[in-house]
Amino acid sequence: MLGLATGPICLASCGPVVLPWMLVQPQRVRSHVRQLSIFLGARLAGYLAFAAVIWLAGIALARSGTARSWIMGGVQVLLAVGLLIYAAAWPHARCGFVRRRKNDLVQIDAASTATPKPRPTGAIALGFLTGINLCPPFLVAGVRAAQLPTLAAALMFFAVFFVGTAVWFMPFLSLGVVRRTPSFLTVARMAAVLLACWYGFTGGSLLIEKAIYG
Amino acid sequence: MASRVLTRPPALRSPAFRSIGRSVLLTLPMALWALLMFTPSFRQPGRNLHIGALLVILFMTALFFLMMRTGKTYRWRRYFFVALGLLFPVGFIASLVAVRGTMSIPIERMVSGDTPFCYMVIPMLILPAAVTRTIIFPGSILPTASNPHSIAIMIGLWLALTLVVGKAWCSYVCFFGGIEEGFAALPKRMKIRKLDPRLRLVPWAILLFVVVLSAALFEPVYCMWLCPFKTVTEYPAVHSVTTAIQMGIFITLFAGLVVVLPYLTKKRTQCAFFCPFGAFQSLFNKINLFEIRFDREKCVDCTLCQTSCPTMALSAESIREGKTLLNCMKCGACVDSCKKSAAVWHLKGTKVALKPERARLLFLYGAWAMATMFGGSILANSISTIIGFLPLR
Amino acid sequence: MRARILAVLAYIGAAVTLLIAACVPFVLMGVFSNAVAHAGLHLDPSYSGGTIVRTVAHSGYQMDVYAPVRPRALQQVAAFVQIAFRPVAALPRHVSEEIDLDGDGQPDVRVSFTVPADPHARPSGEVVALNAKYQSFTMPGNYSFSEMMVQSGGAVVVRVPLR
Ligand code: SF4
Ligand code: SF4
Repeated sequence: MLGLATGPICLASCGPVVLPWMLVQPQRVRSHVRQLSIFLGARLAGYLAFAAVIWLAGIALARSGTARSWIMGGVQVLLAVGLLIYAAAWPHARCGFVRRRKNDLVQIDAASTATPKPRPTGAIALGFLTGINLCPPFLVAGVRAAQLPTLAAALMFFAVFFVGTAVWFMPFLSLGVVRRTPSFLTVARMAAVLLACWYGFTGGSLLIEKAIYG
Repeated sequence: MASRVLTRPPALRSPAFRSIGRSVLLTLPMALWALLMFTPSFRQPGRNLHIGALLVILFMTALFFLMMRTGKTYRWRRYFFVALGLLFPVGFIASLVAVRGTMSIPIERMVSGDTPFCYMVIPMLILPAAVTRTIIFPGSILPTASNPHSIAIMIGLWLALTLVVGKAWCSYVCFFGGIEEGFAALPKRMKIRKLDPRLRLVPWAILLFVVVLSAALFEPVYCMWLCPFKTVTEYPAVHSVTTAIQMGIFITLFAGLVVVLPYLTKKRTQCAFFCPFGAFQSLFNKINLFEIRFDREKCVDCTLCQTSCPTMALSAESIREGKTLLNCMKCGACVDSCKKSAAVWHLKGTKVALKPERARLLFLYGAWAMATMFGGSILANSISTIIGFLPLR
Repeated sequence: MRARILAVLAYIGAAVTLLIAACVPFVLMGVFSNAVAHAGLHLDPSYSGGTIVRTVAHSGYQMDVYAPVRPRALQQVAAFVQIAFRPVAALPRHVSEEIDLDGDGQPDVRVSFTVPADPHARPSGEVVALNAKYQSFTMPGNYSFSEMMVQSGGAVVVRVPLR
């Protein structure tokens, strides 16, 4: 239920990551299904790995509101930095994504019968990273999981949370039919920068508030 | 790559595009419409309102006549649009001060649903309303005595107007765009000539950002943090560091995007490079029947149209393809400025440049009717408010 | 031939657009507004206060207790319960009352305030939590969507923050 309820926020947190990334995939629904599955699979792995950590550290975390604020603030600032790096990295061929996209497009254009094979590395990396990138709903879930009596229950909680949030990612499949233009990518990157500003501001002000008022 | 953008005022075609008789005949339906729209104002008591209504009927009819007579659209539309942009805040602020004594919205008024609804919120409402049936705005759904601009009324109005004008909303309806159009009209020449064409993608990014974040935070993020027009309408009362920062952002954005940059670039910089509602409204260009096209046989690629476009809705490629970009708001500046009559009004489905004036007329009757109905009534109210302030007996 | 049909359709479409324009102020606006009004939408409870769960009648005035409102998703408003005393005109100058907010028969908070004579002024007073579920506060103080004591919509509205 929590996963379903926080789904829109998961989209808010992961959306700007998933959206531009999906947009650079070949313009095919089937390819999107595969890539999204890999992404979500990696995200689940990230969740479960983190569930264990948060459960072990979580009891103390859940008890201390101040510690929680520090961590929330820190995580949001980190998320902002991550988004900025991500937005800045896109246009450069060295990150691999752009080059791969070009190859895929060539493959599709040249031989429509041949199945393009986008490498799954990007999906795995991004999925795992969004899985552990401590987006706010994830933290809420983390705090609740930390209060569960056993590690198994925490893992189970996160698995169910994951299923709830995953439902919200399905609309991204429709991006498979959206036409790719460089403008899409630029818009996605600009949105990532704006979101970074937002997370930077909220995280930063939380940290400053804690530093001043304790 | 930054493109070189020059802006010159649209050149005047021969003033006698049509005979006076034909122009009067074509204006007659619009004059009757204006009379019809303001009949209720004359039934209400209040001499000031009557004067306001009368002036607006004359103003709107005269402008339409001049559009018919000279064949120019942008040139005359601009007078209406700038008047709307400048007078709307006057009337709005006066009514706020009369009702609550301040331009700021105190928390009790938000709680009682007394915040007038603004169409800028619409894109942000869609996701939360679709998913949870919740409206994330401190107004009231049905009109009340203390808040006639309710959510249902304003969304209904927006839907109806959008069906008719689509993205031309930004040229004939929006009461904010005229402020920057006014500042952009002030200088003779542009002071900043180079504008990065990627800037026109920023409104889309802001749209994506505010829609997604509003759904996550359950609050209208744009209104809380980014709207430049809060400076001249209403804003949350400043009572903390956060609200002070918000106010600082509003004023900075207003000064930068609505006053200084339009003056320096002769562009509507807020509309072209910031407004997410404008981007959202661009989507309706897909379903609206009217558009601007370019007759490639007559076009000499002089880029006069491109430089005259206030929102950078033209690129060299789009002109080569004979089209505008998605954010064209049908202001008509490019058509007015084209010396070869290659930029033309067009009705989708018909042959380009075959009957451009017919397409223009069909478009203008709808758009001007909506402008008279919506903007005209705002103008009439503002004028009556101003007359109320004058030391007349 | 196809071009001709398209052109005819285009002109029909243009005529329909004009017809729609003529209908906007008389029919269409009302139809669309009604549709929105009856779409089953409701205001976010952080603004409206949520739904009334109990009404307690007093001599001349009533007190409405609302359901607790909890933040959704990443909403930054803290959890609260709203209480409204209305109408303001019928309230005694000073109100002090122990209120059961959760309906368990035990009082949860004591709310006391003085009703100002000016209908726009904010009441002064305090909320004292009688158990750990609620937070005490004094007004005038920091007003927020989860902590307030104001005159609004013909009522004195008090929002008590939950812990
Ligand atoms: S872009 Fe925005 S501010 Fe400008 S005219 Fe359109 S809606 Fe109004
Ligand atoms: S392209 Fe559109 S927005 Fe630009 S000048 Fe022409 S009509 Fe106006």
